[in-house]
Amino acid sequence: MSLYQLHRCVWDSVRFASVSSSNAGGHFDSSKYDLTDEERKAFEEKDVAALYQLGLHPVLLNGFARASGFTRDGYRDALTVFATGEDRTGRWQK
Amino acid sequence: MAEIALAYASSHAPMMSAARESATEEQRKNFFGALEWLRNEAQERGVQAVVILSNEHFTNFFLENFPQICIGVGERNWGPTEAWLPIDKAWIPGQPALAQHIARYTLNSGFDPAFSHLLELDHGVMTVYHELSPEMQLPLVPIVQNCAVYPMMPVRRAYEFGKAVGEAIRAFDGLDRVAVVGAGGLSHWIGHPRVGDIEESFDRWFLEQLEEGNVDQLLDMPDWEIELAGNGAHEIRSWLAVAGAVAPVTGQTLAYEAIYPWITGMGVSHFETS
Repeated sequence: MSLYQLHRCVWDSVRFASVSSSNAGGHFDSSKYDLTDEERKAFEEKDVAALYQLGLHPVLLNGFARASGFTRDGYRDALTVFATGEDRTGRWQK
Repeated sequence: MAEIALAYASSHAPMMSAARESATEEQRKNFFGALEWLRNEAQERGVQAVVILSNEHFTNFFLENFPQICIGVGERNWGPTEAWLPIDKAWIPGQPALAQHIARYTLNSGFDPAFSHLLELDHGVMTVYHELSPEMQLPLVPIVQNCAVYPMMPVRRAYEFGKAVGEAIRAFDGLDRVAVVGAGGLSHWIGHPRVGDIEESFDRWFLEQLEEGNVDQLLDMPDWEIELAGNGAHEIRSWLAVAGAVAPVTGQTLAYEAIYPWITGMGVSHFETS
């Protein structure tokens, strides 16, 4: 029931998949994490757009997308809807 | 006392190892040519150990405890952690005496670095270290920085920490010649709708400021402004720490390539050491 729990769940799942080949094909049990229904649905469905919207840290999102089989272009496409313009400018742009 | 015999900073990207050939031949020639020149310089100058500052990617630390700086003080560290990174997995020799000295010196200088007797080294350190020491035998003191999770150390503070690291090296009497290297950046986005973009104008401006020794322009940058060049651009903290170690810095840009298949502005700067 916290953003921390979602982060912990995603991070643990990525490491579960990568730490040992003995985990290949195994099922990661997310039931011990106290997630909201929305968070659990996004995690179980590997919905990177929903995870982004929920505030998952981008480094973890990148790792989760990779572990879930997304190409970089694939997850960029999924996130495109969240692209926003930027009104501010950096000093190198002046 | 030791001298800083060589100082430089380089972008890192996992694809520089994992998808090397996806860059054009000219890009590879320029980028890796710069790193090869630095490797030769390290050999010619008799570098005995290297301190590499790079960023943490949730490899060693998580949200329960996320230090702004952690110094690897162990006799050895392990890397690379990524199974898919085509660099042999190996125990990388540390330099515990130098590392402990840096930790003590920076603690006495008003900083509060964490320390670790066993760091796992991911692409952040390993890609650049491997180019410097392909046999992975050069003793390494890794220093990982928080360049990803808010709140982050202000860039000016990272620079000041680098100054203390430089002073510590020069006050160390266990070695004669030490290299200091920053690994990270330049512009790129990770886990973001703009992943794959490169802010080339930022990268070239950043490199120019280093060439001109105009670090105040860089150290004044707030996080929101840095982030206009991508959430990965926060990794310039590693470059600025090395700039601090050799302050006043005069950079020489050895290479810059906007390598889109690697999703990163790939720069290499050599910093004068005196």
